Amino acid sequence: MTELQTQQTDGAGPAASSNGEGLLSVRNLKKYFPIRKGLLIERTADYVKAVDDVSFDVYAGQTLGLVGESGSGKSTTGYCVLQLLKPTSGSVKFDGKELTTMNRRGLRQMRREMQIVFQDPYASLNPRMTVGDIVGEPLVVHNVGNRRSRRRSAEQLLEVVGFNPDFINRYPHEFSGGQRQRIGIARALALNPRLIVCDEPVSALDVSIQAQILNLLKDLQKEFGLAYLFIAHDLAVVRAMSDQIAVMNKGELVEYGPAETVYTQPKDQYSQALLAAVPVPDPRRMRERREERRKHKDVLAEPV
Amino acid sequence: MLTDRRSEFEATLTRTAEARSQEAGAAIARASLLKDALHRFSRNRAAVVAAFAFLVMVAFVTFVPIFRDADPNDVDFSKAFLSPSLDYPFGTDEFGRDLFVRTALGGRISIAIGFAATFAIMLVGVVYGALSGFAGGRVDNGMMRFLDALYGLPYLPFAIITLAIFGRVNFWTMVVALTVASWFTTARVMRGQIITLKENDYVRAANALGARWYRILFRHLLPNTLGVILIFVFLELPGVVLGEAFLSFLGMGIEPPKASWGSLAQDGYTAYQAHPYIIVIPSLCIGWLILSAFFIADGLRDALDPRTREKF
Amino acid sequence: MALLEVRDLHTYFRTRAGEVRAVDGVSFDVEAGEMLGIVGESGCGKSVTVLSLMGLVQPPGRVVEGSALFQGRDLTKLQGRELEDIRGRDIGMIFQDPMTSLNPTLTIGTQITETLRRHLDMDKKQARKRAVELLDEVHIPNAAQRLDDYPHRYSGGMRQRVMIAIAMACNPKLLIADEPTTALDVTVQAGVLDLFHELRAQHDMAVIIITHDMGVVAETANNIIVMYAGQIVEQAAALDLFDRPEHPYTEALLAALPQLEGEGIREGRLLSIPGRPPDLIDPPPGCRFAPRCAYAGHDDCAAVPPDLREIRPDHWVRSQHPASERAAEPVGV
Repeated sequence: MTELQTQQTDGAGPAASSNGEGLLSVRNLKKYFPIRKGLLIERTADYVKAVDDVSFDVYAGQTLGLVGESGSGKSTTGYCVLQLLKPTSGSVKFDGKELTTMNRRGLRQMRREMQIVFQDPYASLNPRMTVGDIVGEPLVVHNVGNRRSRRRSAEQLLEVVGFNPDFINRYPHEFSGGQRQRIGIARALALNPRLIVCDEPVSALDVSIQAQILNLLKDLQKEFGLAYLFIAHDLAVVRAMSDQIAVMNKGELVEYGPAETVYTQPKDQYSQALLAAVPVPDPRRMRERREERRKHKDVLAEPV
Repeated sequence: MLTDRRSEFEATLTRTAEARSQEAGAAIARASLLKDALHRFSRNRAAVVAAFAFLVMVAFVTFVPIFRDADPNDVDFSKAFLSPSLDYPFGTDEFGRDLFVRTALGGRISIAIGFAATFAIMLVGVVYGALSGFAGGRVDNGMMRFLDALYGLPYLPFAIITLAIFGRVNFWTMVVALTVASWFTTARVMRGQIITLKENDYVRAANALGARWYRILFRHLLPNTLGVILIFVFLELPGVVLGEAFLSFLGMGIEPPKASWGSLAQDGYTAYQAHPYIIVIPSLCIGWLILSAFFIADGLRDALDPRTREKF
Repeated sequence: MALLEVRDLHTYFRTRAGEVRAVDGVSFDVEAGEMLGIVGESGCGKSVTVLSLMGLVQPPGRVVEGSALFQGRDLTKLQGRELEDIRGRDIGMIFQDPMTSLNPTLTIGTQITETLRRHLDMDKKQARKRAVELLDEVHIPNAAQRLDDYPHRYSGGMRQRVMIAIAMACNPKLLIADEPTTALDVTVQAGVLDLFHELRAQHDMAVIIITHDMGVVAETANNIIVMYAGQIVEQAAALDLFDRPEHPYTEALLAALPQLEGEGIREGRLLSIPGRPPDLIDPPPGCRFAPRCAYAGHDDCAAVPPDLREIRPDHWVRSQHPASERAAEPVGV
């Protein structure tokens, strides 16, 4: 794993604390799932090491792209960060406060600061709630304001993500995938979080809609000063969104650094192979790309 | 401070909301889910016929006693054992009582017991199953093992024992006995539903918000099980009605002069050879109700089948 | 005569809300040995087009008009056994999800030999030998032993290779691949696409590959068809399409792609296409892309449907405002 590097992006530098830690600081995160065997008395035979010793920082107002293929553990990492899954070991600090050992009340408070946007626009909204209720639920759960102010906030949130506020009484089934993702984003924004974990937010969308949503996320980041943990498998999408990149393979972090560096000079074999494998929309480069892939043949070969 | 940040946030929200264009576009104009469901139901011809038949049955038991002139308890031996005719569409029994009215009244009791017991089963089953599924882990395991043990008990004997414990058979004891013997399947199905629904992202989202368990259970999980519950109502109903009929037929039914279809059938049992209609008619009624309930449940399953919902 | 000649194909689906015109006037040729890519977003009709060719469109959908001449025979007019003979023997097809395309209760060997014995009348021994050869060709290691494995012992990429092997079992003249790598990881995808190249070279087989991924189509196809709202909006050789795209939709689609390499990617915005594809029950009377097009001016774009015309040799476009004919700077998106 490469060392933690400070980034050199234009504009505001990282809002890091004095010891270089970011808004979100993950150290040696592990999530093992026990494989239970046995009929009557279940014993733990082995573990699936979904996340195996992962460390990274996400800085305020910036995006860390967490990239990897299926089974790499990237989504599991995201859930562990938010404590939706309890990490097996390791530390997750948000704003300097340790989350893994926090009591329930404390965690509940922290949830106002960290939110999540899910991948599947068809499963992430309760079909029996109106769009207004969905977007306003965070405010209800945390007792923010009164009914009128919450309604107003819900309308504004919908507008902020590009909706006509009149849609507040509609149901999710009346909207397309891309529109539902917007609703999910509005919900994530409702409590003014400082960090949003985006778990494959555009993977289920067509290219033209994808571009709309990515632009929206970029705009919101600037307007509201959000930090993103952007989880995806599409390297080009991650490139467009991220300041820092972390590459995961089978639970391990194999590459970590500023986006520019990782994309142009990847050090790890797997990341190199991953970059080589992405098809580029330019037929002229077909031969060159296939040559490149041949170099990484052994990494790209499949497990039997 | 959280509150300072909040007001700043709201200011940004207002500003951004005004400046942003409505690029999300219009909603997809679609028929309501209810209309879709009704349409899918109506495509199942058996279900539509069954629904109609069910309503006919309900109309029969409701209106016949109101409009028919005869007193069901009027004993007149001169009119005993009359075969079905225009005056007495269902004939008379050994006491000369008009069976048309008695069948309708019996139907009221049978259906009432049916619905009451079904409602009670839903209550117990949903609560047990939802709590088990929601709790998960060891609690769920324990609750399910207990349920498995209960499954081993035979249905009718269980109900009979419960009635025996009560000592007398009236509407309420019958309902309780039937409920106690048949809530298991519903509990199991509800548990399965809850477990499946728990995996949905919108539940994860509620967790991520910090919603408390009761909110998740009552706002997110249970409302999405309503469809299944409705189907189960129509699946449990036949079983309960039949159960009551059996018990009555065995002689453990509602005490006379009140009658249910089962006890009417039992009345007719002894005179079966000579006057078959006394036992045939209530049996047909039971069959009518059961079949229509089953096919309605089938139609409801089609209506609520998520596979037929279109995605864009 | 081309290997496959599709003329004026129309496939409609009858629904409660109306008739969905999923494929509305599609014509194209596929020459022997050619690799044709059909690209477009969801709902554009690309999958329904090839399903129509193969007679795999289920009610409430049906082919209402058009023809598909495969080696002179019209596929849309064939029924039952005749169609089944062609399917599997002369035309092979692979679908998107390798997880569900294989029968989990039969061994891989059985599934391959089944095809061989059905179409080529082989006996058990011959079929098994051929099956091993096929698995070797698609680079499944230890083919002979793996023949007796069940699908669950194969990874996703392996299964897709098996699907390819089955599709190729009878040496078809045409292979149709409907989103063959969409469900696969990118590293696995690279291998499968490589396999396509290899097989094409060795077998003189034409391939139609359907995908929404412009990168995939750029690296595999000779010729490309771009579909939108049930119609072909642009058709050209791959190089020409990417070098000089003509149709505003193609241009916008390419511009909306996030780039893997280049400068200023993080800071910039992606060019997005506003709105959504049109309702296919009641498509716009004129150009179907007009509501979202940056160039649909005050002229009759919205009223008059444009024809597919050859704007330069071997480059067809359905638009009144193709790139080479645009004089002034366009209104920004």
